Amino acid sequence: MLEITGLSAWYGEAQALREVSLRASPGEVVTLVGRNGAGKSTLLRCLMGLHAQMTGSVRLGERDLGPLGPVRRVHAGLGYVPDDRGIYSSLSVEEHLLLPPRLGQSAWTLERVYDAFPALRARRQQTASKLSGGEQQMLAIARVLRMGARVLLLDEPTEGLAPILVQQIARLLVDAKADALTILLVEQNLRFATSVADRHYLLGQGEIVTTLANDEVKAREHELRQHLGI
Amino acid sequence: MRGPVWLAVPLAGVIAAAACGGGTTPGGGASTVKLTNGKVVIGVINDQSGVYADLSGKNAVEAVQMAIDDFKAKYGDNALGGPITVISADHKNDPALASSKAQEFYERNNVNIILDVPTSSAALAIAKVANDEKKLYINITAATTDLTGASCNKYTFHYAYDTYMLAQGTGIAVTSSGGKQWYIIYPNYAFGQDMEKSFRAAVTSNGGTVIASDGSPFPNQTGDFSSLLLKAGQLKPQILGVMQAGGDLVNVVKQYNEFKLKDQGVKLAIGLLFDTDITALGQDAFAGVVYTTPWIWSEDDASKAFADKFLQRTKIRPTFAHAGNYSATTQYLEAIRRAGTDDPDAVVKALEGYKFSDFFIHNGQIRPEDHWVMHDAFLAQVKPKAESKEAFDYSKILNTIPADKASRPLAEAPCKMAK
Amino acid sequence: MDFLAIQLFNGLVNGAFYALLSLGLAVIFGMMRIVNFAHGAFYMLGAFVAYVLLQQAGIGFWPSLVIAPLAIALAGMVLERLLIRRIAGVDPLFGFLLTFGLSLLIQDAMRLRFGLQGQPYATPAELAGAVSLGAVTYPTYRLFVIAFSLAVSLAVWYAIERTRLGMVVRAATERAELTRALGVDVDRWTTPVFGFGLGLAALAGVLAAPMRNVSPLMGSELIILTFAVVVIGGMGSIKGAIAAGFLVGVLSSVGAIFDPAIEGIVAFALMAVLLLVRPSGLFGSLETS
Repeated sequence: MLEITGLSAWYGEAQALREVSLRASPGEVVTLVGRNGAGKSTLLRCLMGLHAQMTGSVRLGERDLGPLGPVRRVHAGLGYVPDDRGIYSSLSVEEHLLLPPRLGQSAWTLERVYDAFPALRARRQQTASKLSGGEQQMLAIARVLRMGARVLLLDEPTEGLAPILVQQIARLLVDAKADALTILLVEQNLRFATSVADRHYLLGQGEIVTTLANDEVKAREHELRQHLGI
Repeated sequence: MRGPVWLAVPLAGVIAAAACGGGTTPGGGASTVKLTNGKVVIGVINDQSGVYADLSGKNAVEAVQMAIDDFKAKYGDNALGGPITVISADHKNDPALASSKAQEFYERNNVNIILDVPTSSAALAIAKVANDEKKLYINITAATTDLTGASCNKYTFHYAYDTYMLAQGTGIAVTSSGGKQWYIIYPNYAFGQDMEKSFRAAVTSNGGTVIASDGSPFPNQTGDFSSLLLKAGQLKPQILGVMQAGGDLVNVVKQYNEFKLKDQGVKLAIGLLFDTDITALGQDAFAGVVYTTPWIWSEDDASKAFADKFLQRTKIRPTFAHAGNYSATTQYLEAIRRAGTDDPDAVVKALEGYKFSDFFIHNGQIRPEDHWVMHDAFLAQVKPKAESKEAFDYSKILNTIPADKASRPLAEAPCKMAK
Repeated sequence: MDFLAIQLFNGLVNGAFYALLSLGLAVIFGMMRIVNFAHGAFYMLGAFVAYVLLQQAGIGFWPSLVIAPLAIALAGMVLERLLIRRIAGVDPLFGFLLTFGLSLLIQDAMRLRFGLQGQPYATPAELAGAVSLGAVTYPTYRLFVIAFSLAVSLAVWYAIERTRLGMVVRAATERAELTRALGVDVDRWTTPVFGFGLGLAALAGVLAAPMRNVSPLMGSELIILTFAVVVIGGMGSIKGAIAAGFLVGVLSSVGAIFDPAIEGIVAFALMAVLLLVRPSGLFGSLETS
């Protein structure tokens, strides 16, 4: 179980997160929703150990991730898909898949990746920056699956994608959930979020405003939309 | 101030004449010399960190100190009625820095005279300061003829060599022994341009021709001269005249050997060669090269004796710049004795027209009209290593270029000196 | 026409040195975001190691070509552990101060020990001859320098493009933080990469010894030009460093046909134009952050 307690973060003098606590269990998809600047991406960066100015605790199961650097957090099971997809212009598609370490039996084989993402197989030798936006997003997700990460931290995977691709990603997450992966999803697309998630944390100005189960969303949609500003 | 000086001059003249003519006067007696500040301070300004640091640098300061020590040994510690000290500064081959250091030396440190100063542009900058301050300056290590030409002045003397001497020696010797066709390459700044002009004149006035000449960038960051050497390989002149100095010269000769130009009948003539250049490249790489120099340490017994003492103090054999600094210091201190004062105008009077010889200067005479120190120069040749008897025994003397031949005729020197 | 062709060879020789030096600078900058101002000093040290090996132990050019780069690479790795590592991730100004200070330290130490006038180093006997190329004879050793450095450049390029370590270097060069967040221990590789970069500089130094004056200042003069080459190629770009190195070498030499003064200007003119038109350099992919 991924468990965050009392996490606060700053950029210089400006506080970006205030006493955020949340948890996500294996087989559970949890979203973080909120406006731009609410602190969602910062939270993921804190979890990865990429943001130094923070306090609070991050635990994965029995393990305290606090003292670990990003590399050891990956080895502990975290898989990160950054909001810009993290594509290298100097690496081919296949090199993206080969770059990260493979962690245990849960790591996917290349074959399995290509079976799941046929578009990537066709372009395995190409420079990844030449892929379309949707393909790049697939590649970024495939990369953490190939690694065998047990906890997926996804930063707006559907941003700017065509509806058909959004559906494809939704299917992927449902499969991953069935594999007992823990998924923490930063999302602004409410329809997509409700189609995959079990619970939602609503983040406003660095604080958790409210927590709601997926089936509560319909009833409180008006309140939610106000918070999201849509 | 003026009265006592004029009184002192004839008196000191008598003493000096006695000293020169009748051997040494033993020191120890009370001095009759009048010192403005009760002491004599000699300032050495030169390159202590760059390309000329080895050929003069810190060891030139040591040479000046040696001259002071020897002067005291000869005439007694109180020979001039006060302490004699030397201070030095690094001008980093920068004229602006040289100029400000000189000003500081003259004004704040009460320096009586500035010595050495390699790098022509820096040397000329200090000549101007000396003139403004009305204090003495004897340049030893710069080559430009402007010191005794366009930029000459009452307080500036040029001691060891200049581009005219180098060209007269090497240019004429090589041309008259059959090297008629020249291709000249030179570093494209004051020194190199002056060298090119002097050599061109020497070559053409002796029936030779300069078929081409090219400037190389200065400073040369890549250390590469292959395009000029390639051109030399195409032009196939009888003589490749190399005017580069120091590290640039070493690179040119290294690459000249690499391109096998000697085998193609292109002989090397070098404008300015210091022993330190030979050390850098190895004696055999230079073997056979003919060059002009005011002095080499192995030329006679007196020079060898100096070189032995210098070796003991510095662990190296002196270059002509080191020896020139020693000699100039000695002559300056002697001039104070003759003048009976360190007053600059009186010392200038004592130096002008003075005839002398020491281990460094042979048949010397200080020309009053432009302050060029006329003296014999030598045409020398680098020996193969097999012929050298000890470390640093690099060259042999082919012949002597008499002082009047080695000096630019006054008619050609555009010096207008205010008296 | 012959002259132009031979001048191309001269350009390639100069380009070889730029390429080897900027290649080392590029991998170090890419991996560690440090502009190594001491690079020229290690080039100089490479030449001096070869000289000392010959003087003190009678070890000739060929063994030196291996020993000197290895020795300098080793020294570089120690240096990285002791000093360079400590300034990782802080203001780049510290990196500049540290490496610039190091270069002065090394240069002055060598000056104290060897003086400035330079030391002799002969061309290896096997290559001391000259080859006739049409109307002009060309030194064999220079042809060797072209071939050898091209081979080394290609080998490095191959290693970077085709091996797992090369992949890590490319990834870390492009986005070091992301690469860590993907579980790749970038910092484990900085020590060997730094050593490798310095080793390349030392290799260039050994190659230069028979052609150039072996003096403590030989590196400080060349390094300024090399920085221009790195900027032309694109900071941190491997391909760029190699291509720009040879390009600048050839253009400078061809320019020198028209006027020797052009030789010194070409690199800087090219850099200025490129900075205006294409600030990331010929092959640069770096965002200007």
